[in-house]
Amino acid sequence: MYSGEFDGAAAFAGGGFMPSQATTVPDPSSSFSKNRNVRTLLPMTVKQLSELSSNDESSASIDGADVNTITVVGIVCDMQDKEPQFIFLIDDGTGRIECSRWAHEQMEFNEVNQISKGMYVRVYGHLKAFQDKRSLNAYSLRPIIDFNEITSHFVECIYVQLYNTRLRYSFDEGKSIDQMVLDFLRRPEFLANNNGVHRNVISQQLNLPMDKLMEALESLNENSLVYSIDEFHYKSAVNA
Amino acid sequence: MDTSNPAVFVNGGLMCIYVGRRIRTVIQVIQSDGGGVTGKSTDGHQLVVKGPQPGFPLTTFVEIIGIADTDRSIRAEIWNNFGNTFDTQSYNQLCQLANGEFKHLFI
Repeated sequence: MYSGEFDGAAAFAGGGFMPSQATTVPDPSSSFSKNRNVRTLLPMTVKQLSELSSNDESSASIDGADVNTITVVGIVCDMQDKEPQFIFLIDDGTGRIECSRWAHEQMEFNEVNQISKGMYVRVYGHLKAFQDKRSLNAYSLRPIIDFNEITSHFVECIYVQLYNTRLRYSFDEGKSIDQMVLDFLRRPEFLANNNGVHRNVISQQLNLPMDKLMEALESLNENSLVYSIDEFHYKSAVNA
Repeated sequence: MDTSNPAVFVNGGLMCIYVGRRIRTVIQVIQSDGGGVTGKSTDGHQLVVKGPQPGFPLTTFVEIIGIADTDRSIRAEIWNNFGNTFDTQSYNQLCQLANGEFKHLFI
C-alpha cells in the first residue's frame, strides 16, 4: 500500500502495533491522495463514510480534508475467515461497514485471533471502493478495553467535523463572509459537481445564518463570481 | 455499507423522541430481577430494560442496544458490559451533541 513511505510511528503513536511490510498489497495506481505528503487520520462514523463526496477512494474528501486513513469504532457483528483475508462486519451504531484484514505473519494472525463476534473494536484502515461498494482495508484491529474510548471516538468525530468546517476557516480573521462562501464553493468536490450546492448545505457547513448567506451569494452573483443553477443551488463561476 | 438500521445515542431524557425506534444507551445497574434490569441513565432517569438477559453477569455500567418501548423502558437486543467505571458525564454530553447540531453524523 505504501511502498516504504508509511510513517508507522506517527500513525500508531500509543497503539503499540507496527504493521509489517509483508501486509502491504502493492497499489498500482499508487495515489491515495493527490499530495502523498499530506496524510490524514480521520475518526469517522460509518454514516459519514457512506456520504463521502467521491466514488473514487483515491480522491475522496470530506469537509475539505483529504480522506486517507480513517478510524472507526464499533461492534463486530460478523466475521469471515477467508485466509489470508479476514472480513469483519463492523456496526458502529450509525451503520455497518465491511473491514478486510490481511494476515501473512504470526503477529497479524495473533491480532485477528483476538477478535470475536460481539466485541467492540477499534479499526484503522483505508477506504476502498469496488463496484460501488465501499469497505475498509484494515491494517489494525484491536479490542476496546476501556469503554470510554467509544465516547471519545464519537466526540472526536464531532470535533474533527467542526474543525474542518468552521474552526479552520475562522482563523482567517478579516476574511469576509463573501470570501468564505466563495472559497467554500471553490472546493474541488463542488467545482466538479454541475448540480451546484444547495444553499442549506452552505449555510450548515459554514454555520452562516441564511440571511447573511443570501447577502453574500447575491453579491457574488452580481460580480459574476458565482451563479445560481436554480432557486437553491449555487456554483462557483471560476475554477480555483 | 449499510446505514439502514442505526441505533441512536440517547439518555433518559431523549428516549421520548425515539419511542419505537432503535436506540443505544448506557445505564448504571441498580437492580436486576425477573422483571428486568432497572438502571439509572446518564442524565439521572430511571430506566427499565426488558428482554432475555445475557448469560454473563452484568457489570456496574451496561450498554443496552434495543428498541425504546416507552420513554422509560427498553426492549434489549444487545447487552454490552462497560465495566465498573465509566465517564457518564461525557457520554451524556455526547448524547446531546449526537441529537443536536451533529445529528447528521449519526442518523
